[in-house]
Amino acid sequence: MIRVTELHKGFRLYQKPSDRLREIILRRPYHRRFEALKGISFTVPAGQTLGVIGQNGAGKSTLLKILSGVLLPDQGQVDMQGRVTGLLELGTGFDGALTGRANILNNGLLIGMSAEEIRQHEDSIIEFAELGRFIDEPLRTYSSGMMMRLGFAIAIHANPACFLVDEALSVGDGHFQQKCMKRIREFRDQGGSIIFVSHDLNAIKQICDRAIVLDDGHVAFDGDTEGAVNTYNRIMARLDGDPEAVAEQGQRHEFGSREAEIIDARILGEHGVAKSVATGEPVRIQVTLQGHQPTQSLSLGFMIRDRFGQDIFGTNSHYLEHDFELAPGQQQVLEFALPMNLAAGKYTVTLALHSEQHHLEHCYHWVDNHIRFEVAGSRVPAFAGVAALTTTISTISTEGNAT
Amino acid sequence: MNRSLLLQFTRQDLIDRHAGSSLGALWTLLLPLSQILIFSLVFSKVMGMKLQAMGMGPASEYSYSIYLIAGLLPWLAFANTVNRCVGVYQEKASLISKVQLSLLRLPLYIPLTESILYLIGMGFFAAFLLVIDFPFNWTWLWLPLLMAMVMLLAFTLGLAGAVLNVFIRDTREVIGLIVQIAFWATPIVYVADMIDSSWHWLFEGNPMFHLISAIRLVLIEGQAPPLMPLLIIALGSLVLLALTRYVGKRLERDIRDFI
Repeated sequence: MIRVTELHKGFRLYQKPSDRLREIILRRPYHRRFEALKGISFTVPAGQTLGVIGQNGAGKSTLLKILSGVLLPDQGQVDMQGRVTGLLELGTGFDGALTGRANILNNGLLIGMSAEEIRQHEDSIIEFAELGRFIDEPLRTYSSGMMMRLGFAIAIHANPACFLVDEALSVGDGHFQQKCMKRIREFRDQGGSIIFVSHDLNAIKQICDRAIVLDDGHVAFDGDTEGAVNTYNRIMARLDGDPEAVAEQGQRHEFGSREAEIIDARILGEHGVAKSVATGEPVRIQVTLQGHQPTQSLSLGFMIRDRFGQDIFGTNSHYLEHDFELAPGQQQVLEFALPMNLAAGKYTVTLALHSEQHHLEHCYHWVDNHIRFEVAGSRVPAFAGVAALTTTISTISTEGNAT
Repeated sequence: MNRSLLLQFTRQDLIDRHAGSSLGALWTLLLPLSQILIFSLVFSKVMGMKLQAMGMGPASEYSYSIYLIAGLLPWLAFANTVNRCVGVYQEKASLISKVQLSLLRLPLYIPLTESILYLIGMGFFAAFLLVIDFPFNWTWLWLPLLMAMVMLLAFTLGLAGAVLNVFIRDTREVIGLIVQIAFWATPIVYVADMIDSSWHWLFEGNPMFHLISAIRLVLIEGQAPPLMPLLIIALGSLVLLALTRYVGKRLERDIRDFI
């Protein structure tokens, strides 16, 4: 159980640290103030996992640092029973010259375990980290994966009341990650609280019971993960005009003879315009077209690509046998409706307006990566791979007698 | 900051620091030993005569070395403690910014390390004295108390410097320089009487002069030390320590922000 009440934290930005002393002595301010947290309150009951999302600079790191006790708040309180262990800085204080075993003691003491506890758990830490005989070799001979595994194994055996987790969870290979997740679930089932900070909206939806969205030092949303992700996307959308956000989107490549143009496009989920939709959610891709000069029969197509630029799925109005025409000066909105049966991840939609079924014949307007969206969370049963092909299962026959 | 962590830091300081080298932890002893040897060799020729003329002890052949070591060992413990405490937040910044550590107790491992080193040095020194038939005296039992005072003073000055060093990074160098000057301003390699008495006010105001004189008095001459200066030094150290802790607590938030 963690209760955070009205947490305020500002940083006084000084030209140099000695200005702080000048300030004390001369009693005049020599700093600019930056408010990182402006009154944060939330509670994490025992056994619950709270997600924390927010854009860069929203105050996530400051919050984590205050929770882990390395920074002190200006105002407000953090109440918790028992200690908190961060899975943030795995392997703090690791010394390359010492053996893995010596580093277990070293790191364990630093994250707040007692010498007794460490002795007790040593064998199970070594086993969990899967280091085998390497445990008595100096740490500098370890691969980075081995070091991370050791750091994680120690942290997870610290048995705190609360874990602070960030992207660090993505350590090691798939096998080890699964082991970590299993261990974290066990921890939660035994009544431990977890605070999970991530940019990975899908992970938030899958792991957390609840989530808060931080925006500019405030809690912008506190509730179910679905709502949190939507709030987060709204905040991100607000930033779309930002040069930084645009830079992140990469260049939008377009060409064509422009007798007719794609002037706008958006994806709608069940709750309207969305940047993030769930696997299995019915979505609509709406495209607004503008005619400039007379054209012959048109075809509008889209292609969904994954983050590696690989074609995932595409079709066009010609394939779908939807003929339409556009007179000069006319505007038209077309809508594709489809179930978003794709695995979690980031995708882009490329749009093309051409004559007939093939853009090679005559391309009026082609826009690469016009829409970016993310698939996070799922409404369909768990699956592996990129496409969610609707599957059912039934038992056809059972033979032989049960013994 | 619990006891096992404090011991772990001390252990790291004494042993683990040299884990990669072939001589290992021996280095921690070799460095002060070499310093003693150098001073003995360089100065015994120059100073030996002087001391004999002053009619020091029966072991005249070694009298300068005894005089030197009795003063140099506590000085090294003092100087190292001060210097290393001042830089402690800088040195441990990577830990302080990642895990919860008590800022005011964290540097405690430094006086602990230096005390252990002194103890080892003193052990060898005592053995040497007994081998050359230097008379044992019950006044030696004053030593732990006097050394505790040296370490208290060193820790206090070091901690005050450490807090200051967070805000003014030059503190570390300046204090290093002051300690260097203080070494020569304190009669460690030379005898106070060699200096013209018009300069003796310099010694009177130097707490390390009184502490080292007291250590020599109990160790070499078998006399109880004068209590008044010791009392003043102990009281002064405690007041300064309390003040430093108060200021340190008040500034803790800033210190953590700056690290």
